Amino acid sequence: MKRPNLPEELDLLAGKKEYSFRTDLKVNGWGYVAMVLSFAGDVLLPRHKDWHVILRAIIALAPIVPALLWGRIFARWIRGMDELHRRITLEVCLLATTAILFLFTALHPLDKAGVFQALGLRAGLDLHTWWGTSWLLVCFYILGSKILNRRYR
Amino acid sequence: MKNRLRELRAAREWSQSDLAAKLEVSRQTVNAIETEKYDPSLPLAFKVARLFKLPIEDIFEPDHQ
Repeated sequence: MKRPNLPEELDLLAGKKEYSFRTDLKVNGWGYVAMVLSFAGDVLLPRHKDWHVILRAIIALAPIVPALLWGRIFARWIRGMDELHRRITLEVCLLATTAILFLFTALHPLDKAGVFQALGLRAGLDLHTWWGTSWLLVCFYILGSKILNRRYR
Repeated sequence: MKNRLRELRAAREWSQSDLAAKLEVSRQTVNAIETEKYDPSLPLAFKVARLFKLPIEDIFEPDHQ
C-alpha cells in the first residue's frame, strides 16, 4: 500500500515522532544549499568589491540553481501527499508567498518615506536578500501551516 | 456533506489509521471526513464506496437532503 507524504515529516515543531531528518534532507536539501550560498554571497560581496564583475554576478546568482532544484523536489513532494494535505500545503504556500509579496511591497514606500532612516535601520532592512527572503518564507509557512491545519483537526 | 464513515468503520472494528492505510490517505484526512470538516474528492469517495461495498449515496449525503 502506498503511504502518502505527510507535512509533519518536515515539521520539527510537530515533535520528534513525526519529524524525519532523512525526508527533510531529501526534500529541502537543495533549499539548504541555496541558503548557504546566499549567506556566503551576502558576506563575501560587500567585502570584495574589487572582484571581477562576472565573478561577483556568478556569486550573487549562485543560489538560483539550487533554489530551482528545491522548488522541483518540493512540488513533487506535494504531489505525493493525500488530497487534504495537498490542499492545506498549497493554501499555506499561497499564504506565505502572498505575505512576502505584501511585506516587500510595503518596504519600498516605507523606505522612500524615510522610516528606516528615522529608526536608524539600513534601507529595506536587507530582507530582500535570498537569505532574508528564505527565512521569512519559512516563518510565514510555519505560521500558515499552524493556522490552516487547525481548521481540519 | 453528511456521511456514515465513522459508523461503517466502527462496524468493522477498524481504527482511523486502519482505514487511512486502506484508502492510502493520512489519518488526519479520515478524521476530517468523519467530523465533516472536509468533503472528499470524487475519486476518494468512490474508493470509500468500493471499500465498504456500498453505493456512494449510502455513505455520503448532501446537506440539503
